[in-house]
Amino acid sequence: MIRFHPSAQQLKDFVEGTLSPAISLMVSAHCDMCEKCQRFVEIETESLAAQMISAANENVDDTSDIAFQFGDMLSQITQLPSLDQDSIEPMATLEYRESMHKSSKAPESSGLKTIELDGRTFTLPRTLHRYIDKTGNWSSLVGKLWQAPVDLGNQGVANFIFMGSDGSVPEHTHRGTEYTLVIDGEFSDGLSRYDTGDFIFMDGEKTHTPKAEGKDGCLVFSIVDQPLHFTSGLARLLNPFSHLFFR
Amino acid sequence: MLVGIPLEQSNSTIKPKECATEMSDYLVAVAEARCKRSFARVFNYFAPRLRSYALKQMGNEALAMELVQDTMSNVWQKAHLFNAEKGSPSTWIFTIARNIRFDMLRKLQNRKEDVCSDDLWPVLCEQTADANEAPLDEQVTLEQIGYLFESLPVKQKAVVEAIYIDGKSQQEVADELSIPLGTVKSRTRLALQRLKVMLNDND
Repeated sequence: MIRFHPSAQQLKDFVEGTLSPAISLMVSAHCDMCEKCQRFVEIETESLAAQMISAANENVDDTSDIAFQFGDMLSQITQLPSLDQDSIEPMATLEYRESMHKSSKAPESSGLKTIELDGRTFTLPRTLHRYIDKTGNWSSLVGKLWQAPVDLGNQGVANFIFMGSDGSVPEHTHRGTEYTLVIDGEFSDGLSRYDTGDFIFMDGEKTHTPKAEGKDGCLVFSIVDQPLHFTSGLARLLNPFSHLFFR
Repeated sequence: MLVGIPLEQSNSTIKPKECATEMSDYLVAVAEARCKRSFARVFNYFAPRLRSYALKQMGNEALAMELVQDTMSNVWQKAHLFNAEKGSPSTWIFTIARNIRFDMLRKLQNRKEDVCSDDLWPVLCEQTADANEAPLDEQVTLEQIGYLFESLPVKQKAVVEAIYIDGKSQQEVADELSIPLGTVKSRTRLALQRLKVMLNDND
């Protein structure tokens, strides 16, 4: 059962589009797995839309410059073709339009929804599907800990981390902040016990000892929201611990 | 013929609920018949509101108008994706605007190839599939680590090996070596600090 959720403020910022992209990704993936937060997001979206509608108090004068611009804009827009069929859009000048157009077509072959590790297949939440192609190879780190990096462009690097059955990590403290989403399995860390779907926020001087529970191990998706201070020249051996544990 | 479309600004008296139904009908007319008159109604109701919203959010007239234009273009071109059962026209249009603003802000910050609004809120698409391989280079190889690892003091090496290579818990290591847990912790910490220093020196 999911017990750990994003805060109400985080969900609100997410709906408004003001939460940072990397954390939005975590929140969105959590919502894929959590009906409660999904519902919250729906209600919040409706409420923000209502605010947008009522926010417009200034009247646009028919003779004003704005009214003229709007008239111009309206006639430009209605000359655009519909994208209902596979029609080609001639005015696709903006990146996002191209991507929207592309994505409205049949899904491409790389439409993976799962990742594999050691013969096991994990189904990912919808939000993370596009990042499967951006996921590097799994590397065995230490003991029962595996890691695959996910390139988020300028947003930094996230990681899929797999803790094997009863795999554990030495006690450590955090510097900065870290978000962890449990994709599959359970783990405990001496502070709490986390289940599939849990959204975990770690910061400050918390000390914990993550350990997978159960015999199937635990897959998590983890993002560090700011560059690590010892990023340069970091070893594979230290990488998982620096990202996850020794910050 | 576009000149003939009336630019009405008198929707403010319409109650929200009735307005939602009315706007919903217009959107259906746009989707099914490319009805420019219906679109003009939708446009005249939403464009000024979107502009105010965008101005407040972005504080820039040009960006606000760009947002209005992009949002309403999508409404015109993708009206068929609107589903009245899923939500009101204003909610749908708000989410389109929110997505566009999210992507505009990313672009302003020169961010490429990262999180995009379609991933977070698939308002205007069913699937997103963007093949892009970007392998990450590790700065230090395992061989280097192995080499540095060998140069650790024997006692520290034993502890690190048991914990990191064999995956044992600190308590297990303490029990096996018959040493206090605190000693295992301090040896681990010292070993990691040492490794870190050596790695930094190596660069």
